[in-house]
Amino acid sequence: MSYYEQAIPPVRDQRLKIADSFAGSACEMLECAKSGCMLNRSRLFWQTGACQMALTLMMAATVERCAIVMHGPIGCGSQLHALSVQSGKGKAKRGKQPVPPVWLSTNLQESDVIGGGELKLSRTIEYADREFRPQIIFVVSTCAPNIIGDDVEEIVRKAGEFSAAHVVSLHCPGFKSRVVASAYDAFYHGLLRHLPLSPEPWRDFIPHAADGQGDIEQLKYEHLKSRTLNLWNATSIGPGDEEELIRLLGALGLRVRMFAEYSNADEFRQISQAALNVSMCSVHDDYMLSFLEEKFGTPYMIAGMPIGFGDTRQWLKSIAARFGLEDEADRLADYEERRVREAIAPFLPKIQGKRVLLCGGVVRVGSEAIFLKELGMEILTFRAYHYDNGAEKIYERVAEEFPDTRIAVSNQIFEFCNQIKKLKPDLVISHNGTQGVLAKLGVPSVQLFDVDRSFFGYGGIFSLLQRIVFAFRNTSYQKRLSEHVKFPYRESWYEKDAFHYIKD
Amino acid sequence: MASFVEKPRSACALAGALSAISALPGVIPIVHTSMGCGGNLSGANSFGSGYWGAGYCGGASIPTSAITETEIVFGGGERLREEIESTLELIDGQLYIVATGCMTEMIGDDTRGVANDFTAEGKPVISVSTPSFKGDSYSGYEIVLNGIFNGYLKKAEKINPKLINIFGIIPAYDPFFRGDLEEIARLIRALRLEANTFFTPDQTFENVKSAPSAALNIVFSRVWGTSFAEEFKKTHGTPYWATELPVGPEATDAFLSGLAVRAKVPKRRVKEVIERENDIYYGYFERTADVFCDSDFKYYAVTVTNSNYAIPVARYAQNELGWVVLDVFVTDQLHDFQKNALQGAFNESGLNYADLLFETDTSAIARAVTERRPLNRGERYFDAYSPLFILGSSLEKAMAQKRGSAQLSISFPAFNRMIVDRGYAGYRGGLHLFEDIVGSLVFPKG
Repeated sequence: MSYYEQAIPPVRDQRLKIADSFAGSACEMLECAKSGCMLNRSRLFWQTGACQMALTLMMAATVERCAIVMHGPIGCGSQLHALSVQSGKGKAKRGKQPVPPVWLSTNLQESDVIGGGELKLSRTIEYADREFRPQIIFVVSTCAPNIIGDDVEEIVRKAGEFSAAHVVSLHCPGFKSRVVASAYDAFYHGLLRHLPLSPEPWRDFIPHAADGQGDIEQLKYEHLKSRTLNLWNATSIGPGDEEELIRLLGALGLRVRMFAEYSNADEFRQISQAALNVSMCSVHDDYMLSFLEEKFGTPYMIAGMPIGFGDTRQWLKSIAARFGLEDEADRLADYEERRVREAIAPFLPKIQGKRVLLCGGVVRVGSEAIFLKELGMEILTFRAYHYDNGAEKIYERVAEEFPDTRIAVSNQIFEFCNQIKKLKPDLVISHNGTQGVLAKLGVPSVQLFDVDRSFFGYGGIFSLLQRIVFAFRNTSYQKRLSEHVKFPYRESWYEKDAFHYIKD
Repeated sequence: MASFVEKPRSACALAGALSAISALPGVIPIVHTSMGCGGNLSGANSFGSGYWGAGYCGGASIPTSAITETEIVFGGGERLREEIESTLELIDGQLYIVATGCMTEMIGDDTRGVANDFTAEGKPVISVSTPSFKGDSYSGYEIVLNGIFNGYLKKAEKINPKLINIFGIIPAYDPFFRGDLEEIARLIRALRLEANTFFTPDQTFENVKSAPSAALNIVFSRVWGTSFAEEFKKTHGTPYWATELPVGPEATDAFLSGLAVRAKVPKRRVKEVIERENDIYYGYFERTADVFCDSDFKYYAVTVTNSNYAIPVARYAQNELGWVVLDVFVTDQLHDFQKNALQGAFNESGLNYADLLFETDTSAIARAVTERRPLNRGERYFDAYSPLFILGSSLEKAMAQKRGSAQLSISFPAFNRMIVDRGYAGYRGGLHLFEDIVGSLVFPKG
């Protein structure tokens, strides 16, 4: 049975080669991934992070006119207050109504843990449907129901029959994996199993009439479809990035639709109506895109991230090639590159030779490191939050560019602090959620991604360099703060290797 | 109690435990659960309390056993043992508290046994049981207090007749807990007594250790911390006083008089303090009367808060502002005995025009307000409850906008404002609450 037919999606630990604990050269990393020695690595000490549910909720909260039913005890989903605000901002920036999602918790008690929570779940779904009339009800199954064995899929199937809304299960038992990246698959699994992804006759289109006029309409539609591609976004990709890529692909005469964040049920029915699915990151979307190829025959392209000159050109050309527009893409890239090179020229002397450490998503840190080296920054090292097969291609290039650099797979703050204290970088480019720690360490930093700014394409190049130069101007805040903050680690920790606690 | 909840304003016992621990000096959490709980819950705690942040060893720095499916099947005891050992080696703290999550409780890990092994070696490690399905954030606060004060700390050899412990104000879930604690401590010290607040930056682990020697515990809650204080009394023999957090001069005068009796402070001294504080309060407040009255800032009020703030804020609005308080919504999930305790205090609070209502769901609150306080539907003359001010959480903003009412976020989750050392307790807090309420009216933001 294929993964897509299963009620509960696999976690990436089952589906891919995956790791979260490693330090060594890129070459060693690739070998360790291939031989499988990376898979069992762990730590003697762990600090808390997030779970697949957290990231799945980030995605679900962006969907318009949805209700989210958390099936679990009262604590799961508490971050939805924050996610509602964040997604409201994202909706507004994309020209949509910033209405927060409705969300409810089945509030499982000890008696439910013993006796089962299925009845409670049915009642909550029914209430959500009748009270709020959402288009979609996401039913998020957390750790507890997965341990007690609630048949969430069956409840969701039955609820789907009596509800006006589409009822979509999102299976997110956090204990199944330490790596949050499974969240993409968990979210997509729910979409692909429970939502219609094709247009509905009369609702979305007028069925083909046999009077000849219909044929013309049909031809026009087919032509348009042959120039349409779906771009797959994610929580780390902001409206600025989307606009930049739509602008560039639009210049090639291609029509772009964005999925799956910030969409609604009506838009989801257009997913099948494209000539190509394009991912913006190698570790986000393979689960969904290979399903769409299997189901609708839509080819897909996963080719890294459009970050920096080389990768952006390559990314554009790979898409253009599918439409016979390679020369046009080259000319576009030439033009755009020339303009942005002029624009960033004044920034370069201010950043060249500066010693940088990068930390965050596995593909992004690799791409940015290669690009910033090209511009003349000195890359001390970088840390990827996880590693899986999707990153292999980019790390083959990392291995060429940085053969002697010791890099790490780590999302652990204590290791990060150890590295910063020892390496004393001029600048850290890091994942959201770490900037406060960096300031307390006294280091200037910029976000590795930030939905309020752009990072992709040519606009992204300019914007990032602008931020870096800005970060160097006045570092008094970090300096003053670091003089007054005590970290929890004993002094002896800084005498050890940063990856002392990783075990085979 | 056990029904589903819409947009719950409290997370789980583990979340409450983590917010309490992260505010306690020298105390380090070790979370025995899967990778995500600690980070997810810390984020929620911080966001809902006016961006409180992670602190010394909170947020993504919290040590965790990060159990996976292997431990679910084979047990997580060994992984926990390894994590505690590493934490003791790495992290500088004076007390380490293992707090459990749902899965490790469901699979029956002997967490206490593992912690006890370390205690036997003389290491300061204890464990508390905080699964989500046993209670919410408020009960998590109580569980941590019980673990430290009634479990870990030994009975004092000597009582300090001047020392008072302050409990019942819950980190994060009372978003102004630091400011409130500081003001209460300031007033206690003004009576020439000593105060332990435990959860403010001026405190050290010595304050925690000194708690059993206190002469009195004050619990500023009718609901949260009273059973803990009862247990404290059994363990250490310390009497306790459960009362409302005083907000504004009228309530604070009464609080100080009540405290003076319980702490055996000479009448003259408390009278002096009350007079001095009132002079200062009214020295400020008097000047605000011009804009307050000329702008006709007399309002009807609806409050939507947790049980701790319900009576204090409603009383402040009624007695200090002269507003007409209509509905006092309490959003905690409460047992009947807790509701009864709160209702009893409410009946004695002099809130003559108001009703106390228990409702957890945001849209149900909005519905109840609409039903109870209808808007004019086209009648020529209609005595509406207008103008209306809603003192609630950030979630009430939508209802307020729909009705055209004024609103201020003073209860969890309060995410449309930054809260640092601000508090509403006491005299200073009364002025702060006035500033925030009237500040939102003199220059209303969209």
